Amino acid sequence: MPQFLVAIQHHENYDPSLEGEAMIRDIGALNEEMDAAGARFFAGGLESPSHAKSLRKQPDGNVSITDGPYLEAKEHIGGFWILQCADMDEALAWGRKAVVACRVPVEVRAFLKIRPNRESLGHGDSQ
Amino acid sequence: MPQYLVAGYLPDDFDPSQVDEAVGREIHALNKEMIAAGVRKFACGLGAAKSLRGQTDGGVLITDGPYLETKEHIGGFWILECADMDEALAWARKGVAATRGQVEVREIFFQPSTD
Repeated sequence: MPQFLVAIQHHENYDPSLEGEAMIRDIGALNEEMDAAGARFFAGGLESPSHAKSLRKQPDGNVSITDGPYLEAKEHIGGFWILQCADMDEALAWGRKAVVACRVPVEVRAFLKIRPNRESLGHGDSQ
Repeated sequence: MPQYLVAGYLPDDFDPSQVDEAVGREIHALNKEMIAAGVRKFACGLGAAKSLRGQTDGGVLITDGPYLETKEHIGGFWILECADMDEALAWARKGVAATRGQVEVREIFFQPSTD
């Protein structure tokens, strides 16, 4: 079954403490619906971008590590699902529900099939 | 065990056909090392994007292409289970070396459970 990334886009000023009860309920219900459909492989909320670390290759071959997100953008991924869906249309249908539940935009991306040699490619649980 | 997103960034004009075999070999070797160390929960390369935006009328608009208008985007990522951020950064350093790219590490601090 193909897998898709559904990434939630949060503005840099996003304050999770302002998420209302209705929104938390909606997101919980969506996770339950994904589980019931057998679609949810992974779900995670990310620590705020200010806690990100960025690693850049230097011309001398060393790696510099800086605090903060790699992209200088006003929005960042706040969390994401990895979903198992028949095709992009099915992933987009979940993406629509995610936009409604999370009250923010989302991005849906397919995973590339790179190698035939995919030994133990993360058959993790979806807790 | 804490989990970390280790995301590799690629320029928009990245052409995978120009990647030489050594890069593929080194990324594969790094994946094997991660599996042997028991840290790799998930690994992937990402394909084309669709963006979904909520509309004022309650509808959802779907467009082709990435959501962020930036010159680089996440090309792929690992989800690693590590003792702490320092351990995740050590793997990310190896990720920079293997991919010849730039890498960002973020802690996954919340996992919704429906149990």
